Amino acid sequence: MTATTSSGEGAGFQERAVFVRKATGLVRGWSVRDAFIYAVFAINLVTLGWSIFDDAPFVPKGALLWSIVISGVYLIFQGITYAGLISAMPRAGGDYVWMSRVLGGGIGFVLAVAGWWFILWYWVPVYAHIFNIEVLAPLSAIAGWHGGPNFWNGSDGIFVASVITALLASLFIALGIRTYGRIQKICFYGGVFGLVVIAIMLLVTSRSGFASDFNHSAAKLFGTSGNAYQATMSSVSKAYTPSSIGGLNLSATLTLIPMMLFFNLWSNWGATLYGEVRGASDFRKNIYAMGGALLATTLVGVIFFLLFAKTFGWNFYNDANAAFWGYGHGPLGSNFPYPALLAAMIFSSPVLQFLLILIMSLWFFGWVGSVFLSSTRVIFATAFDRILPEKVAGVSRTGVPYWALFLMIAPSIGLAALYAYDTKFQSYTLDATLVIAITFLGTTVAAAILPWRKPEIYNASPIAKYKILGLPLITVAAVGFGVILVFALVEWFTNDVYGVNNADSYYLMGGMYVLAFAIYGISQIVRRRQGIDLGMVYGEIPAE
Amino acid sequence: MRIFFATDVHGSETCWRKFLNSAKHYKADVIILGGDMTGKALVPIIDDGGGNWHSTLLENREVLRGEEQVTQFEQAVKRRGYYPFRTDPDELAELSRDEDRWHALFDEHMLATVREWMELADERLAGTGIRCVVCPGNDDQLEVDEVVLEAKTVELGEGRVLDLDGYQLVSSGWANRTPWDTYREEDEPQLAERIAKMVDQITNPPERTIFSLHCPPYGTGLDDAPELTAEMDLKNAGHSVKPVGSTAVREAIERFGPALTLHGHIHESRGTKRLGKTLCVNPGSSYEQGQLLGAVIDMENGKQVKKFVLTSG
Repeated sequence: MTATTSSGEGAGFQERAVFVRKATGLVRGWSVRDAFIYAVFAINLVTLGWSIFDDAPFVPKGALLWSIVISGVYLIFQGITYAGLISAMPRAGGDYVWMSRVLGGGIGFVLAVAGWWFILWYWVPVYAHIFNIEVLAPLSAIAGWHGGPNFWNGSDGIFVASVITALLASLFIALGIRTYGRIQKICFYGGVFGLVVIAIMLLVTSRSGFASDFNHSAAKLFGTSGNAYQATMSSVSKAYTPSSIGGLNLSATLTLIPMMLFFNLWSNWGATLYGEVRGASDFRKNIYAMGGALLATTLVGVIFFLLFAKTFGWNFYNDANAAFWGYGHGPLGSNFPYPALLAAMIFSSPVLQFLLILIMSLWFFGWVGSVFLSSTRVIFATAFDRILPEKVAGVSRTGVPYWALFLMIAPSIGLAALYAYDTKFQSYTLDATLVIAITFLGTTVAAAILPWRKPEIYNASPIAKYKILGLPLITVAAVGFGVILVFALVEWFTNDVYGVNNADSYYLMGGMYVLAFAIYGISQIVRRRQGIDLGMVYGEIPAE
Repeated sequence: MRIFFATDVHGSETCWRKFLNSAKHYKADVIILGGDMTGKALVPIIDDGGGNWHSTLLENREVLRGEEQVTQFEQAVKRRGYYPFRTDPDELAELSRDEDRWHALFDEHMLATVREWMELADERLAGTGIRCVVCPGNDDQLEVDEVVLEAKTVELGEGRVLDLDGYQLVSSGWANRTPWDTYREEDEPQLAERIAKMVDQITNPPERTIFSLHCPPYGTGLDDAPELTAEMDLKNAGHSVKPVGSTAVREAIERFGPALTLHGHIHESRGTKRLGKTLCVNPGSSYEQGQLLGAVIDMENGKQVKKFVLTSG
């Protein structure tokens, strides 16, 4: 039973707010901590953060620390926007349904399949790249396979890792969301333990001690000689000078933000879409989970920046990243200066080094299933709307969505081959964020106009009471979120530094939208010929 | 024959009105409501004796002044699928202490609402030629059937074989066991027996038969519900789901092979599934938003069902 105690205006007597009888689906609640864990995994400081922070040298004057602080705090608007949509339209939720209901089926389909299906093909080699530089290459080097890092960093290695990534993601989907959820929790707690170990190691190790350990380990792992620590910094000194850790050049720092969205744009993945006979508390809980994950991850990111600066040296950390991107010929060559590997190099024991990287790999394994999870859901939803053939929603007796997985794996392997063997494609990493940002923008527009476009849904929701200066909170939050999305889109399309405003990148992304339009158009024609009117899907029945 | 099927409106007056208008909207010959038509909550609106009324909806506290505001609030409660009632602090305190009394009040409001709905159906559907079948679900008390039977234009589906333009429709709102110990649930063997008794009455071949069974077949994706902890919390914040449908329903479908089966019960599991030649449909439910999720299905002279679409009205 649910009961509340009155408070505020008119209070003065105990009030039973609602009498609930026995009925299916009435649950007590859900744990913010659990939702927080999923959101933390989605933002993922280790896989997404530590891999994109290495791009900071492309904007030398940008303040990496401030860029994640500013964007992290600002993206609270995203949490409020999505929590509002979930509150107004729970269970049926998701970008596809929200956009379809508010903006129309065609717009919903095109934006959702481009952002939650097609671009995920490209995320597969991006995930694989992270798998290589944070897991396979370091483990190979520590295990004594000296050719390993070169293999994994090369074309064949990226392709092989892409196939492994696609198969791993498929395996997690095949195991079912229930099992994967358990795996994710184990990975989360293991990964957090790894982070704590690294934090303690960085705290107790001096910079000179680290430099010495680094020189020693780099020689064993990568065959360097002499003072590799100093050589790393010297190698890029003519081409690149990083800004100080606390310095704030606002313009350059804002330029870094569209890069950082690769890391922190995903808190909405932790949202909980279920709930009945409750209301405002679920809205707040979703904000706590998403916003909490965003702020906590940002805070942990900042703490690690400070620890990097203390122990690695801020210049060394950035110079190593710059060297990785070819600003000079650093002693580590094409090996990624993965912070966990740098920390592991403090150990002299290869076993401890191996174990640390292995524990930190849980951040990858707990996260890799997400690459196909959303896409299989969108494929199902569009098949149920008869846009895609009925067959693609097929599942085996054990619940494996074989057609949906095929529609993910086959194109992603093709794109992985392009990514691996045509180096141009590797520079379009931010396309992966850009296309989803466009989808989020569609959802944001839907959220902003929801109170006027679907007043009956909005007014019946628990968020209808929340206003700022007389405007619906969801509208204010959505406009706020929209501002950062539009800013990032303008930057991506106009600033060369992100590497995505070129013809091939446009073909890659544009092709996805053309494909989405084509599928939608063809489905309309085919279904009409079959006597099925797709206009019925979202047509509102009068309620008089 | 075109069928419009919706389910699990759970007391939402908006959804019921949309359901009655659905035949005209979708040009359907038959409209079928699959069960769970009654609401889950009773919402007190408390007179404080000083000219103000107090209530809480969706955990948002409201202070209402004057009849107009109270009436508007009552409408909002009804749209949500709950039953509003006016009371004072003393009566509320007594109700809170006496479970039997508030259950009786609940039944009174619930049955009165179903009666109003049936009257509205008679008003809207009389003389239209539209067939309307309602089969209460596991959340609906048995007394609901009597009220449905009083309607002139609404046919009760539970346990019966109805002829629909050359097709036979068998319906049941009974489900396998749930954690909520609801009104129409039983163990799988008893459910299998119940379905078998209905199927025995069918004289049509399978391709001219439709099952409307509230509970979806097990393991079809139409029955994935959030996993619960022992404390009835959503496990893993709702990210973990498991199949909760009925094995008896699945076996009946696989054994008999009707052309079409219609289900509800699990609001989150909107979708379709083929079991052999049978098309199984669960349109899901978004009753809280006043959105009537449904399915428009064209039956074509005993052929395999191919023309269908899930709708969000």
